[in-house]
Amino acid sequence: MNLLEISALTVRFGGLTAVSRVDFAIEPGSLVALIGPNGAGKTTAFNVITGVYAPSEGRVAFAGEQIGGRAPHAISRLGVARTFQNIRLFRSLSALENVRASLQGARRSGLRDVLRPARWRAQQEDAENEARGLLDELALGAFADARADALPYGEQRRLEIARALATRPKLLLLDEPAAGMNPAEKQDLRELIRRLRVQRELTIILIDHDVSFVMNLCDRVVVLDHGEKIADGPPEQVRRDPAVIEAYLGSDDEASA
Amino acid sequence: MRVRAWLIGGGAIAALVALDWLAPRALNPYYVTILSRIGIAVIAAVSLQLVNGFTGQFSIGHAGFMAIGAYASAALSVYAGAALLDAASQIAPLGFARLLYFPLVLAFGGLVAAVSGIVVAVPALRLRGDYLAIATLGAGEIIRIAILNIDAVGGARGFSLASPAHPAIDLRFESLGGVFGVALVTIAVIARLVYAGGGLAFRAVREDETAAESIGIATTRVKVEAFLVASFFAGVAGALFAHSEGYIHTNSFGFVRSFELVAFVVLGGLGSLSGAIIAAATLTALPELLRGFGDWRMVLYSVLLIATMVLRPQGLLGQRELWPLARMTRGGAK
Repeated sequence: MNLLEISALTVRFGGLTAVSRVDFAIEPGSLVALIGPNGAGKTTAFNVITGVYAPSEGRVAFAGEQIGGRAPHAISRLGVARTFQNIRLFRSLSALENVRASLQGARRSGLRDVLRPARWRAQQEDAENEARGLLDELALGAFADARADALPYGEQRRLEIARALATRPKLLLLDEPAAGMNPAEKQDLRELIRRLRVQRELTIILIDHDVSFVMNLCDRVVVLDHGEKIADGPPEQVRRDPAVIEAYLGSDDEASA
Repeated sequence: MRVRAWLIGGGAIAALVALDWLAPRALNPYYVTILSRIGIAVIAAVSLQLVNGFTGQFSIGHAGFMAIGAYASAALSVYAGAALLDAASQIAPLGFARLLYFPLVLAFGGLVAAVSGIVVAVPALRLRGDYLAIATLGAGEIIRIAILNIDAVGGARGFSLASPAHPAIDLRFESLGGVFGVALVTIAVIARLVYAGGGLAFRAVREDETAAESIGIATTRVKVEAFLVASFFAGVAGALFAHSEGYIHTNSFGFVRSFELVAFVVLGGLGSLSGAIIAAATLTALPELLRGFGDWRMVLYSVLLIATMVLRPQGLLGQRELWPLARMTRGGAK
């Protein structure tokens, strides 16, 4: 069974159709890139999958369950986590608190925090240890107590991934994770994504503009242009697709850049 | 750990009882009244801080919930409490009956205010920022005007805590220890709420609602919860106010009072309980301390407010806490 199935998805904002009758399915364990020029509808697709927007038409099914139009927190609890194109950390909280907020998110209870029954302290410690473990896993251990907005840019990107992972997702959506990174940082990120995919048995969809970044990393590429899907297949095949070259890559020179 | 908690609790109660006994004997009633008003202001400010400072929802109608707590508890006392205490005094010492009765009154004021808090919060929290502020301001005024038109609680005459049927029963509750005790409980409850792991949900909503939703936090529920708790304690503060003053009027709960409470949390530092406590205490005492300046009193008060905001735009403490609250920010004990 497919983990995510999008069928005939259309999203309209007033007169503007941002996504138009798009279909694609994501198999468990795959690493898929969603590419396309600016305004192609990539982030809109993410926003529909995560519940930020409701689909105007069409279906979004996660693990066989219809999720289109549900609240973002409900979808997150089913196992869909994401990062954002423009980093959205909890800026004045520490790196550790950013991750802990995720651990607590789905199962918070104010009354327990006030009354603090017998197991409470142990649970708090477990959560803290788990958060520290995640920070270490993403090489952020040294920044645990630093304010999120004081972190260097690359670390902020990784902290967003750590926060998403803390929700224990099955499907991880990365919205331009490599934006603004230099080649060395991109290489590190590529390795991180590969490692997380294997170790955490994740299914990953990522958006990017950097074509070569996506080509070397993903098993499959879905190309959107003006809200429509124009190609879908293995990277090498998509790269040679005349429709993609015309719409997105422009010319052979740019494709090899 | 257990032993230490009991020691702290026991010590606090002993200190409050001592304060309660000592204050009326050592201080003149004027100072006792001011101290009691400080305690009430602290309760209201700390509860508002949960909504404005920790959850990031700008509410400026908090006095409305104080009014509901004050009038609901006063009505309970006048119409039912006096008879209850009168009956109790036949079988048990009156002092003992009062000791059991007043927590009940406070809880009642808090609960009625909490219910009204939800009634206001559910529609109002669909709004953000300035719009939410205006909606809460409106809600506060609606509450005040509504009460002003209920004749059973005195209407424009104000409402006196004296039962015509039981004139011998004193319904007032002038206990400095009691007021400070309730203030301590309020601070402890709200600090536990915001500084435990679950409290991160409040702060996550303040920082970024979209991101909070994306990690599974039901932001609307969290906001309603903050409003519920805040209006409960505002109601308790109102109930304390009604029973320590003995006479209430809707003029005490207008938007001026609401703005005063907002000034406490902003001046103390949005996101700092210690800051709200210090600001509430200072700004409640300040107009009294400035009495020597006569007509210039409120001018000086305003100048001091402006000066603080210019020199410390993030508030006195920003988001920091002072001892012993600072220990809780690291998930510590008590």
